[in-house]
Amino acid sequence: MNDSERLAIAAHLHVALRRKTGRVTDTEWMASDTAYGQAMAQFALNYARSHEDAELERLALRFAASLPGAPAPASATLATAAAVPAADPAAPQGLVASARRYVGGLR
Amino acid sequence: MQMVQMAAIDKADTAWLLVSTVLVLLMTLPGIALFYAGLVRRKNVVNTMVAVFAVAAMVALTWFALGYSLAFSKSSAWLGGLERAWFSPMRLDAAAGTVSVSHLAPHLPESLYALFQMAFAVITTTLIIGAVVERMRFSALLLFSALWSVLVYAPVAHWVWESDGWLNKLGALDFAGGAVVHVNAGVSALVCAAMLGRRQGYGRQAFEPHSLGWTAMGAALLLIGWFGFNAGSALSADGRAALAMLVTMVAAAAGALSWMLVEWWVRGAPTLLGVLSGLIGGLVAITPAAGFVQVGGAVAIGLIAGVACFWGATWLKRRLGVDDSLDVFGVHGVGGIAGSLLTAVFADRAIAGVDATVLNQLVAVAAVALYSAVGSAILLTLIRVVLPLRVTAQQELDGLDVSLHQESQN
Repeated sequence: MNDSERLAIAAHLHVALRRKTGRVTDTEWMASDTAYGQAMAQFALNYARSHEDAELERLALRFAASLPGAPAPASATLATAAAVPAADPAAPQGLVASARRYVGGLR
Repeated sequence: MQMVQMAAIDKADTAWLLVSTVLVLLMTLPGIALFYAGLVRRKNVVNTMVAVFAVAAMVALTWFALGYSLAFSKSSAWLGGLERAWFSPMRLDAAAGTVSVSHLAPHLPESLYALFQMAFAVITTTLIIGAVVERMRFSALLLFSALWSVLVYAPVAHWVWESDGWLNKLGALDFAGGAVVHVNAGVSALVCAAMLGRRQGYGRQAFEPHSLGWTAMGAALLLIGWFGFNAGSALSADGRAALAMLVTMVAAAAGALSWMLVEWWVRGAPTLLGVLSGLIGGLVAITPAAGFVQVGGAVAIGLIAGVACFWGATWLKRRLGVDDSLDVFGVHGVGGIAGSLLTAVFADRAIAGVDATVLNQLVAVAAVALYSAVGSAILLTLIRVVLPLRVTAQQELDGLDVSLHQESQN
């Protein structure tokens, strides 16, 4: 999966979280940082399970699967986890080329 | 306390300093707040802005409680006394037609002089925030800021700007705060960043600014406010103030263009952040020299500062290996050092009234840097005994906006 596809999924999850939970996320950072992305997917999944929100659960799992090398969220059921396509470990970290200049410094 | 008749107050100078005070406050609120908040990731925007506003409020109170008296009253060459503590000098007797004044500005109401100097204490302390954003615990930051403004900033201001301060007697020139404000804040910022440690993912992940537009607006407000910062430091609405304003604009322009050209040559692109950073670098460097140099000197100072700050925020930053988040040392520290030393080179005796020497300037810079570094390290060490300096790893991951403030920026 390429960066722009992951960003698009992150944007969908961002909107859903904002509307359903009031939680505001950093969309670009979700798509570029695996740890933060996993944490937000886990948060969404927990909320979806406790409120029986199938749409949010689907978005959370889809986004989690899009993260490079990321395992499925801890609370995902075996059935749903197995249904999620495997993440692409070769997908590049970093969002877009222009962002790479910010590694290790702002200027 | 010195009381004078109202007639002794110069109304034109008072009016100019009222305006200048507002301009200097504008630099912090919202100048610094916007400049810094635009440079952090979206999940830390609220934390950055609330830190600037809360620290500004904190320092405003510590300044009137203790800082002003320790900085601007005669006692010793090292530290002022306490006779001006707890708002005591702000006297106005309408019936007798008298008002209190400072011995440093007997033509201005002391309430205004103290407020103008407070704006300097506020911006100096808030500058440090840029080095610690995205990971420092909010309560630790507030405590550090309160103590730093009294125990580090006030003594340094006394050394340089009080008539019996030891650096003042030595002949060190610092018109508006090259050493007192920028070297002081820059070095302290570096120490704070080193003691806090790097952010998670530093050097491996891209920490992309969430809004360069905010940063540009903040820089523009800083430029406008800097006219009050430098020209206001003349403490008079006269030719020196006008010249200080002129050289401030010229140095800022030179700094912006020299950073841009060097970056274009080295990196292949003239970036917005580069132009803004060069602008600030030029402003920082002209600050100690603003009331002492001709326009040609200001151009040279700005050009040199733009290159020096680019070097400080890129090559030097990577060599130091410290995660100074928003390059406070690279821009303010390096720019302040360069400007303080160049003041001796370009100061015009016809304007300054005295001859400056590079050695005196070097002593001033070294003394301020050493005291700032040691003082900041001691304060952080003491604070660490009572509360952690950093947020938890999970809070840092989630972002400080949600984890500390339960708010977020869309």
